[in-house]
Amino acid sequence: MGREEYASAVSAVKAMESFLFTQSDMEQLINARTDAEFDSLVSAKATENKTLADVWEMLKSYAPDSRELEILLYRNDFHNLKAVLKAMISGREPENYFIEPSNVGIDVLKEAFRTKDSDILPDYMRETASEAYELLTGTLDGQLSDSLIDSSALRAMQKSAEEFGGDFMRKYAELITVFADMKTAYRCSRMGKSRAFLETALCGSTALDKESLIRASLGGTDNVISFLENTQYNESAHLLKENPAQFEKYSDDMITEFAETARMQAFGVEPLIAYYIAKEAEIKNLRIISVCRESGADIETITERLRKLYV
Amino acid sequence: MNSMGIALAVLGAACAALFAGIGSAKGVGLVGEAAAGVVSVDPNKFSKVLILQLLPGTQGLYGLLTAILMLSRIGIIGGNAAELTTSQGIMFLGAALPIAIVGLFSGIAQGRAAAAGVGITAKKPEHNGKGIIMAAMVETYAILALLVSILLIYNIAI
Repeated sequence: MGREEYASAVSAVKAMESFLFTQSDMEQLINARTDAEFDSLVSAKATENKTLADVWEMLKSYAPDSRELEILLYRNDFHNLKAVLKAMISGREPENYFIEPSNVGIDVLKEAFRTKDSDILPDYMRETASEAYELLTGTLDGQLSDSLIDSSALRAMQKSAEEFGGDFMRKYAELITVFADMKTAYRCSRMGKSRAFLETALCGSTALDKESLIRASLGGTDNVISFLENTQYNESAHLLKENPAQFEKYSDDMITEFAETARMQAFGVEPLIAYYIAKEAEIKNLRIISVCRESGADIETITERLRKLYV
Repeated sequence: MNSMGIALAVLGAACAALFAGIGSAKGVGLVGEAAAGVVSVDPNKFSKVLILQLLPGTQGLYGLLTAILMLSRIGIIGGNAAELTTSQGIMFLGAALPIAIVGLFSGIAQGRAAAAGVGITAKKPEHNGKGIIMAAMVETYAILALLVSILLIYNIAI
Protein backbone atom coordinates (compact mmCIF):
# COMPACT_ATOMS: atom_id res chain seq x y z
CA MET A 1 0.00 0.00 0.00
CA GLY A 2 1.20 3.52 -0.82
CA ARG A 3 1.58 6.00 2.03
CA GLU A 4 -1.48 8.02 0.96
CA GLU A 5 -3.64 4.92 0.97
CA TYR A 6 -3.41 5.01 4.76
CA ALA A 7 -5.05 8.48 4.89
CA SER A 8 -8.33 7.12 6.21
CA ALA A 9 -6.68 4.74 8.68
CA VAL A 10 -4.33 7.42 10.02
CA SER A 11 -7.17 9.88 10.58
CA ALA A 12 -9.26 7.24 12.33
CA VAL A 13 -6.30 6.34 14.55
CA LYS A 14 -5.70 9.99 15.39
CA ALA A 15 -9.35 10.31 16.39
CA MET A 16 -8.96 7.23 18.59
CA GLU A 17 -5.79 8.53 20.20
CA SER A 18 -7.94 11.08 22.00
CA PHE A 19 -9.55 8.17 23.88
CA LEU A 20 -6.24 6.83 25.20
CA PHE A 21 -5.66 7.06 28.94
CA THR A 22 -3.72 10.15 29.95
CA GLN A 23 -1.41 10.65 32.92
CA SER A 24 -4.23 12.22 34.93
CA ASP A 25 -6.53 9.27 34.08
CA MET A 26 -3.86 6.92 35.40
CA GLU A 27 -3.52 8.95 38.59
CA GLN A 28 -7.26 8.78 39.12
CA LEU A 29 -7.17 5.02 38.64
CA ILE A 30 -4.32 4.60 41.11
CA ASN A 31 -6.13 6.76 43.65
CA ALA A 32 -9.54 5.11 43.19
CA ARG A 33 -10.86 4.27 46.65
CA THR A 34 -12.90 1.24 45.69
CA ASP A 35 -12.89 -1.37 42.96
CA ALA A 36 -16.26 -0.06 41.80
CA GLU A 37 -14.76 3.40 41.37
CA PHE A 38 -11.81 1.88 39.48
CA ASP A 39 -14.15 -0.04 37.16
CA SER A 40 -16.33 2.97 36.50
CA LEU A 41 -13.29 5.11 35.64
CA VAL A 42 -12.09 2.44 33.21
CA SER A 43 -15.51 2.07 31.57
CA ALA A 44 -15.95 5.83 31.30
CA LYS A 45 -12.79 6.07 29.22
CA ALA A 46 -12.92 2.79 27.36
CA THR A 47 -13.87 2.72 23.70
CA GLU A 48 -14.80 -0.29 21.66
CA ASN A 49 -11.09 -1.13 21.46
CA LYS A 50 -10.80 -2.72 24.88
CA THR A 51 -8.47 -5.58 24.02
CA LEU A 52 -5.54 -5.83 21.65
CA ALA A 53 -7.62 -8.20 19.53
CA ASP A 54 -10.20 -5.39 19.14
CA VAL A 55 -7.45 -2.93 18.23
CA TRP A 56 -6.10 -5.35 15.67
CA GLU A 57 -9.54 -5.92 14.12
CA MET A 58 -9.97 -2.19 13.81
CA LEU A 59 -6.53 -1.61 12.26
CA LYS A 60 -7.04 -4.42 9.77
CA SER A 61 -10.45 -3.07 8.81
CA TYR A 62 -8.78 0.18 7.74
CA ALA A 63 -5.70 -1.40 6.17
CA PRO A 64 -6.65 -4.95 5.15
CA ASP A 65 -3.80 -5.38 2.68
CA SER A 66 -0.96 -4.24 4.89
CA ARG A 67 1.58 -7.06 5.25
CA GLU A 68 3.78 -4.71 7.21
CA LEU A 69 1.24 -4.45 10.02
CA GLU A 70 1.20 -8.23 10.36
CA ILE A 71 4.82 -8.17 11.53
CA LEU A 72 3.49 -6.75 14.80
CA LEU A 73 1.87 -10.11 15.53
CA TYR A 74 4.81 -12.37 14.72
CA ARG A 75 5.74 -12.70 18.38
CA ASN A 76 2.18 -13.78 19.21
CA ASP A 77 2.27 -16.27 16.33
CA PHE A 78 5.49 -17.81 17.57
CA HIS A 79 4.24 -17.85 21.14
CA ASN A 80 1.18 -19.75 19.91
CA LEU A 81 3.45 -22.10 18.01
CA LYS A 82 5.19 -22.91 21.30
CA ALA A 83 1.88 -23.32 23.09
CA VAL A 84 0.37 -25.64 20.51
CA LEU A 85 3.55 -27.70 20.13
CA LYS A 86 3.91 -28.28 23.85
CA ALA A 87 0.22 -28.90 24.41
CA MET A 88 0.00 -31.43 21.63
CA ILE A 89 3.08 -33.31 22.77
CA SER A 90 1.83 -33.44 26.35
CA GLY A 91 -1.71 -34.37 25.24
CA ARG A 92 -3.35 -31.17 26.52
CA GLU A 93 -5.61 -28.72 24.74
CA PRO A 94 -3.68 -25.60 23.64
CA GLU A 95 -6.64 -23.18 23.75
CA ASN A 96 -5.81 -21.94 27.25
CA TYR A 97 -2.32 -20.88 26.20
CA PHE A 98 -3.25 -19.37 22.86
CA ILE A 99 -3.04 -15.59 22.64
CA GLU A 100 -4.84 -13.19 20.36
CA PRO A 101 -4.49 -11.27 18.12
CA SER A 102 -2.51 -13.53 15.81
CA ASN A 103 -1.98 -14.02 12.10
CA VAL A 104 -2.27 -17.80 12.32
CA GLY A 105 -5.36 -19.42 13.80
CA ILE A 106 -5.17 -22.17 16.38
CA ASP A 107 -6.77 -24.71 14.04
CA VAL A 108 -4.11 -24.11 11.40
CA LEU A 109 -1.34 -24.64 13.97
CA LYS A 110 -2.98 -27.79 15.34
CA GLU A 111 -3.48 -29.13 11.84
CA ALA A 112 0.15 -28.41 10.93
CA PHE A 113 1.42 -30.48 13.87
CA ARG A 114 -1.21 -33.19 13.56
CA THR A 115 -0.43 -33.82 9.90
CA LYS A 116 3.25 -32.87 10.28
CA ASP A 117 2.69 -30.57 7.32
CA SER A 118 4.29 -27.22 8.01
CA ASP A 119 3.54 -26.04 4.46
CA ILE A 120 0.12 -24.85 5.58
CA LEU A 121 1.83 -22.30 7.86
CA PRO A 122 3.00 -18.89 6.66
CA ASP A 123 6.50 -19.08 5.20
CA TYR A 124 8.03 -17.06 8.06
CA MET A 125 7.31 -19.85 10.56
CA ARG A 126 7.45 -23.05 8.46
CA GLU A 127 11.06 -23.93 9.05
CA THR A 128 10.92 -23.05 12.75
CA ALA A 129 7.83 -25.22 13.26
CA SER A 130 9.56 -28.27 11.76
CA GLU A 131 12.84 -27.61 13.60
CA ALA A 132 11.13 -27.05 16.94
CA TYR A 133 9.06 -30.21 16.53
CA GLU A 134 12.16 -32.29 15.71
CA LEU A 135 14.06 -30.70 18.58
CA LEU A 136 11.35 -31.21 21.15
CA THR A 137 10.51 -34.78 20.15
CA GLY A 138 14.19 -35.66 19.75
CA THR A 139 15.66 -34.10 22.90
CA LEU A 140 12.56 -33.43 25.07
CA ASP A 141 14.35 -30.19 25.98
CA GLY A 142 11.46 -27.73 26.25
CA GLN A 143 13.73 -24.85 27.16
CA LEU A 144 15.88 -25.28 24.09
CA SER A 145 12.84 -25.60 21.85
CA ASP A 146 11.30 -22.46 23.40
CA SER A 147 14.54 -20.57 22.89
CA LEU A 148 14.67 -21.65 19.26
CA ILE A 149 11.12 -20.43 18.67
CA ASP A 150 11.69 -17.13 20.50
CA SER A 151 14.83 -16.26 18.57
CA SER A 152 13.20 -17.36 15.31
CA ALA A 153 10.33 -14.93 15.98
CA LEU A 154 12.83 -12.09 16.25
CA ARG A 155 14.66 -13.20 13.13
CA ALA A 156 11.36 -13.43 11.22
CA MET A 157 10.44 -9.91 12.33
CA GLN A 158 13.77 -8.54 11.18
CA LYS A 159 13.63 -10.41 7.87
CA SER A 160 10.07 -9.36 7.02
CA ALA A 161 10.74 -5.79 8.13
CA GLU A 162 13.72 -5.78 5.80
CA GLU A 163 11.74 -7.28 2.92
CA PHE A 164 8.54 -5.26 2.98
CA GLY A 165 8.70 -2.93 5.96
CA GLY A 166 9.71 0.70 6.15
CA ASP A 167 12.42 2.28 8.29
CA PHE A 168 10.02 2.54 11.23
CA MET A 169 9.20 -1.16 11.27
CA ARG A 170 12.88 -2.08 10.80
CA LYS A 171 13.83 0.03 13.81
CA TYR A 172 10.96 -1.44 15.84
CA ALA A 173 12.08 -4.98 15.01
CA GLU A 174 15.62 -4.06 15.98
CA LEU A 175 14.56 -2.59 19.33
CA ILE A 176 12.48 -5.67 20.17
CA THR A 177 15.42 -7.90 19.25
CA VAL A 178 17.97 -5.89 21.21
CA PHE A 179 16.01 -5.98 24.47
CA ALA A 180 15.15 -9.66 24.07
CA ASP A 181 18.79 -10.52 23.34
CA MET A 182 20.00 -8.49 26.33
CA LYS A 183 17.70 -10.44 28.67
CA THR A 184 18.53 -13.78 27.10
CA ALA A 185 22.29 -13.21 27.21
CA TYR A 186 22.14 -12.20 30.87
CA ARG A 187 19.86 -15.07 31.94
CA CYS A 188 21.87 -17.67 30.00
CA SER A 189 25.03 -16.37 31.60
CA ARG A 190 23.46 -16.72 35.07
CA MET A 191 22.39 -20.27 34.28
CA GLY A 192 25.77 -21.15 32.78
CA LYS A 193 24.34 -22.10 29.41
CA SER A 194 26.63 -23.51 26.72
CA ARG A 195 27.69 -21.86 23.48
CA ALA A 196 25.42 -24.24 21.55
CA PHE A 197 22.42 -23.11 23.60
CA LEU A 198 23.33 -19.44 23.14
CA GLU A 199 23.70 -19.95 19.39
CA THR A 200 20.08 -21.09 19.35
CA ALA A 201 18.65 -18.65 21.89
CA LEU A 202 20.17 -15.39 20.67
CA CYS A 203 19.06 -13.64 17.52
CA GLY A 204 21.53 -10.79 17.03
CA SER A 205 21.03 -7.47 15.28
CA THR A 206 23.04 -4.67 13.77
CA ALA A 207 23.00 -2.90 17.15
CA LEU A 208 24.06 -5.94 19.20
CA ASP A 209 26.24 -8.44 17.41
CA LYS A 210 25.33 -12.05 18.18
CA GLU A 211 28.88 -13.42 18.40
CA SER A 212 29.97 -10.65 20.79
CA LEU A 213 26.93 -11.31 22.98
CA ILE A 214 27.69 -15.04 23.05
CA ARG A 215 31.30 -14.40 24.09
CA ALA A 216 30.19 -11.93 26.77
CA SER A 217 27.59 -14.37 28.07
CA LEU A 218 30.08 -17.23 28.26
CA GLY A 219 32.38 -14.96 30.29
CA GLY A 220 29.85 -14.47 33.14
CA THR A 221 27.16 -11.97 34.14
CA ASP A 222 29.61 -9.15 34.91
CA ASN A 223 31.06 -9.63 31.46
CA VAL A 224 27.60 -9.24 29.91
CA ILE A 225 26.99 -6.04 31.87
CA SER A 226 30.34 -4.54 30.99
CA PHE A 227 29.85 -5.48 27.33
CA LEU A 228 26.42 -3.81 27.28
CA GLU A 229 27.78 -0.74 29.05
CA ASN A 230 29.91 -0.11 25.99
CA THR A 231 26.93 -0.16 23.64
CA GLN A 232 24.25 2.47 22.96
CA TYR A 233 22.01 0.62 25.44
CA ASN A 234 24.40 1.24 28.31
CA GLU A 235 21.77 3.06 30.43
CA SER A 236 19.80 -0.11 30.98
CA ALA A 237 22.67 -2.61 31.40
CA HIS A 238 22.89 -2.32 35.20
CA LEU A 239 19.10 -2.81 35.52
CA LEU A 240 19.47 -6.37 34.23
CA LYS A 241 21.41 -7.21 37.36
CA GLU A 242 19.89 -4.86 39.92
CA ASN A 243 16.23 -4.70 39.00
CA PRO A 244 14.90 -6.93 36.21
CA ALA A 245 11.36 -5.47 36.59
CA GLN A 246 12.76 -1.99 35.95
CA PHE A 247 14.61 -3.34 32.92
CA GLU A 248 11.28 -4.55 31.53
CA LYS A 249 9.84 -1.11 32.18
CA TYR A 250 12.84 0.58 30.58
CA SER A 251 12.55 -1.53 27.42
CA ASP A 252 8.79 -0.90 27.15
CA ASP A 253 9.35 2.83 27.68
CA MET A 254 12.03 2.94 25.00
CA ILE A 255 9.63 1.32 22.54
CA THR A 256 6.83 3.79 23.41
CA GLU A 257 9.31 6.66 23.08
CA PHE A 258 10.25 5.34 19.66
CA ALA A 259 6.56 4.99 18.71
CA GLU A 260 6.05 8.66 19.55
CA THR A 261 8.18 9.60 16.55
CA ALA A 262 5.26 8.49 14.33
CA ARG A 263 2.73 10.77 16.00
CA MET A 264 3.41 13.72 13.69
CA GLN A 265 3.03 11.74 10.48
CA ALA A 266 -0.07 12.39 8.38
CA PHE A 267 0.34 9.43 6.01
CA GLY A 268 1.82 5.94 6.05
CA VAL A 269 1.55 2.87 8.22
CA GLU A 270 3.66 4.27 11.08
CA PRO A 271 0.84 5.95 13.07
CA LEU A 272 -1.06 2.64 12.97
CA ILE A 273 1.90 0.70 14.33
CA ALA A 274 2.41 3.41 16.94
CA TYR A 275 -1.23 3.21 18.03
CA TYR A 276 -0.95 -0.56 18.46
CA ILE A 277 2.17 -0.07 20.60
CA ALA A 278 0.36 2.64 22.59
CA LYS A 279 -2.61 0.37 23.27
CA GLU A 280 -0.24 -2.43 24.27
CA ALA A 281 1.34 -0.12 26.86
CA GLU A 282 -2.04 1.13 28.02
CA ILE A 283 -3.43 -2.37 28.55
CA LYS A 284 -0.24 -3.34 30.39
CA ASN A 285 -0.63 -0.28 32.64
CA LEU A 286 -4.24 -1.11 33.46
CA ARG A 287 -3.16 -4.65 34.36
CA ILE A 288 -0.31 -3.35 36.55
CA ILE A 289 -2.62 -0.99 38.44
CA SER A 290 -5.25 -3.68 38.85
CA VAL A 291 -2.78 -6.31 40.12
CA CYS A 292 -1.00 -3.85 42.41
CA ARG A 293 -4.31 -2.72 43.91
CA GLU A 294 -5.28 -6.32 44.56
CA SER A 295 -1.98 -7.03 46.27
CA GLY A 296 -2.25 -3.84 48.33
CA ALA A 297 0.83 -2.15 46.84
CA ASP A 298 1.32 1.52 47.76
CA ILE A 299 0.89 4.39 45.28
CA GLU A 300 4.63 4.90 44.97
CA THR A 301 5.20 1.27 43.97
CA ILE A 302 2.42 1.38 41.39
CA THR A 303 3.69 4.65 39.89
CA GLU A 304 7.22 3.25 39.69
CA ARG A 305 6.01 0.26 37.70
CA LEU A 306 3.78 2.11 35.26
CA ARG A 307 4.90 2.26 31.64
CA LYS A 308 5.38 5.52 29.78
CA LEU A 309 2.21 6.75 28.13
CA TYR A 310 1.96 7.56 24.45
CA VAL A 311 -0.25 10.64 24.95
CA MET B 1 -10.28 29.86 -42.59
CA ASN B 2 -7.32 28.62 -40.54
CA SER B 3 -8.87 25.93 -38.37
CA MET B 4 -5.58 25.17 -36.58
CA GLY B 5 -5.74 28.42 -34.59
CA ILE B 6 -9.18 27.78 -33.16
CA ALA B 7 -8.35 24.12 -32.53
CA LEU B 8 -5.33 25.10 -30.43
CA ALA B 9 -7.41 27.59 -28.46
CA VAL B 10 -10.09 24.96 -27.78
CA LEU B 11 -7.34 22.55 -26.72
CA GLY B 12 -6.15 25.20 -24.27
CA ALA B 13 -9.63 25.57 -22.78
CA ALA B 14 -9.92 21.80 -22.49
CA CYS B 15 -6.51 21.56 -20.76
CA ALA B 16 -7.50 24.21 -18.21
CA ALA B 17 -10.65 22.33 -17.24
CA LEU B 18 -9.04 18.90 -17.51
CA PHE B 19 -5.82 19.20 -15.53
CA ALA B 20 -7.12 21.55 -12.86
CA GLY B 21 -10.10 19.22 -12.51
CA ILE B 22 -7.85 16.18 -12.12
CA GLY B 23 -5.85 18.01 -9.42
CA SER B 24 -9.03 18.84 -7.53
CA ALA B 25 -10.47 15.37 -7.90
CA LYS B 26 -7.30 13.80 -6.50
CA GLY B 27 -7.08 16.33 -3.66
CA VAL B 28 -10.74 16.13 -2.67
CA GLY B 29 -10.59 12.34 -2.88
CA LEU B 30 -7.59 12.12 -0.58
CA VAL B 31 -9.15 14.43 2.01
CA GLY B 32 -12.39 12.50 1.68
CA GLU B 33 -10.62 9.28 2.63
CA ALA B 34 -9.00 10.92 5.62
CA ALA B 35 -12.29 12.56 6.63
CA ALA B 36 -14.14 9.26 6.38
CA GLY B 37 -11.63 7.73 8.80
CA VAL B 38 -12.40 10.42 11.39
CA VAL B 39 -16.16 10.31 10.87
CA SER B 40 -16.14 6.52 11.28
CA VAL B 41 -14.82 7.05 14.81
CA ASP B 42 -16.56 10.33 15.67
CA PRO B 43 -19.48 11.29 13.36
CA ASN B 44 -19.85 14.63 15.17
CA LYS B 45 -16.74 15.93 13.40
CA PHE B 46 -18.38 15.67 9.98
CA SER B 47 -18.98 19.41 9.51
CA LYS B 48 -15.45 20.31 10.56
CA VAL B 49 -13.75 17.88 8.21
CA LEU B 50 -16.12 18.77 5.36
CA ILE B 51 -14.63 22.29 5.19
CA LEU B 52 -11.18 20.78 4.78
CA GLN B 53 -12.44 18.46 2.08
CA LEU B 54 -13.89 21.35 0.08
CA LEU B 55 -10.63 23.30 -0.05
CA PRO B 56 -8.87 21.40 -2.87
CA GLY B 57 -12.06 21.60 -4.94
CA THR B 58 -11.42 25.22 -5.97
CA GLN B 59 -8.74 24.41 -8.55
CA GLY B 60 -11.33 22.57 -10.61
CA LEU B 61 -13.58 25.64 -10.47
CA TYR B 62 -10.70 27.89 -11.55
CA GLY B 63 -10.06 25.56 -14.50
CA LEU B 64 -13.73 25.66 -15.42
CA LEU B 65 -13.81 29.46 -15.15
CA THR B 66 -10.71 29.77 -17.34
CA ALA B 67 -12.19 27.43 -19.94
CA ILE B 68 -15.49 29.37 -20.06
CA LEU B 69 -13.72 32.72 -20.33
CA MET B 70 -11.53 31.43 -23.10
CA LEU B 71 -14.41 29.86 -25.02
CA SER B 72 -16.35 33.09 -24.64
CA ARG B 73 -13.40 35.20 -25.80
CA ILE B 74 -12.87 33.14 -28.94
CA GLY B 75 -16.58 33.14 -29.64
CA ILE B 76 -17.24 29.44 -29.29
CA ILE B 77 -19.83 30.22 -26.63
CA GLY B 78 -22.38 32.22 -28.57
CA GLY B 79 -21.79 30.27 -31.76
CA ASN B 80 -19.67 32.89 -33.47
CA ALA B 81 -16.16 31.45 -33.45
CA ALA B 82 -13.40 33.94 -34.17
CA GLU B 83 -10.94 33.36 -36.98
CA LEU B 84 -7.60 32.73 -35.27
CA THR B 85 -4.17 32.36 -36.76
CA THR B 86 -1.98 29.46 -35.60
CA SER B 87 0.13 31.80 -33.48
CA GLN B 88 -3.00 33.21 -31.82
CA GLY B 89 -4.14 29.66 -31.15
CA ILE B 90 -0.78 28.86 -29.56
CA MET B 91 -1.10 31.99 -27.42
CA PHE B 92 -4.50 30.88 -26.14
CA LEU B 93 -3.11 27.44 -25.44
CA GLY B 94 -0.25 29.08 -23.51
CA ALA B 95 -2.76 31.23 -21.62
CA ALA B 96 -4.44 28.09 -20.31
CA LEU B 97 -1.23 26.47 -19.09
CA PRO B 98 -0.76 28.39 -15.81
CA ILE B 99 -4.07 27.24 -14.33
CA ALA B 100 -3.85 23.83 -16.01
CA ILE B 101 -0.45 22.95 -14.56
CA VAL B 102 -0.60 24.84 -11.27
CA GLY B 103 -4.18 23.65 -10.79
CA LEU B 104 -3.12 20.03 -11.18
CA PHE B 105 -0.23 20.15 -8.73
CA SER B 106 -1.71 22.58 -6.23
CA GLY B 107 -4.91 20.51 -6.08
CA ILE B 108 -2.92 17.44 -5.10
CA ALA B 109 -0.67 19.36 -2.70
CA GLN B 110 -3.64 21.07 -1.07
CA GLY B 111 -5.30 17.69 -0.71
CA ARG B 112 -2.29 16.40 1.21
CA ALA B 113 -2.17 19.49 3.43
CA ALA B 114 -5.91 19.29 4.11
CA ALA B 115 -5.71 15.54 4.83
CA ALA B 116 -3.01 16.30 7.39
CA GLY B 117 -5.35 18.99 8.75
CA VAL B 118 -8.00 16.30 9.17
CA GLY B 119 -5.53 14.66 11.56
CA ILE B 120 -5.51 17.88 13.64
CA THR B 121 -9.31 17.92 13.69
CA ALA B 122 -9.35 14.26 14.69
CA LYS B 123 -7.15 14.75 17.70
CA LYS B 124 -7.67 18.37 18.66
CA PRO B 125 -10.95 19.59 17.13
CA GLU B 126 -10.59 22.98 18.81
CA HIS B 127 -7.55 23.63 16.55
CA ASN B 128 -9.45 22.82 13.36
CA GLY B 129 -8.98 26.40 12.10
CA LYS B 130 -5.22 26.01 12.03
CA GLY B 131 -5.53 23.02 9.74
CA ILE B 132 -7.79 25.04 7.44
CA ILE B 133 -5.36 27.98 7.33
CA MET B 134 -2.40 25.74 6.53
CA ALA B 135 -4.25 24.03 3.69
CA ALA B 136 -5.60 27.36 2.42
CA MET B 137 -2.06 28.71 1.98
CA VAL B 138 -1.67 26.43 -1.03
CA GLU B 139 -4.64 28.20 -2.61
CA THR B 140 -2.53 31.35 -3.11
CA TYR B 141 -0.63 29.75 -5.97
CA ALA B 142 -3.74 28.50 -7.71
CA ILE B 143 -5.21 32.02 -7.50
CA LEU B 144 -2.01 33.54 -8.93
CA ALA B 145 -2.10 31.06 -11.80
CA LEU B 146 -5.78 31.84 -12.43
CA LEU B 147 -5.00 35.57 -12.54
CA VAL B 148 -2.21 35.06 -15.06
CA SER B 149 -4.43 32.87 -17.23
CA ILE B 150 -7.25 35.46 -17.19
CA LEU B 151 -4.87 38.36 -17.93
CA LEU B 152 -3.44 36.45 -20.86
CA ILE B 153 -6.85 35.46 -22.25
CA TYR B 154 -8.07 39.09 -22.25
CA ASN B 155 -4.86 40.55 -23.62
CA ILE B 156 -4.34 38.39 -26.66
CA ALA B 157 -5.24 40.49 -29.66
CA ILE B 158 -7.71 38.83 -31.99
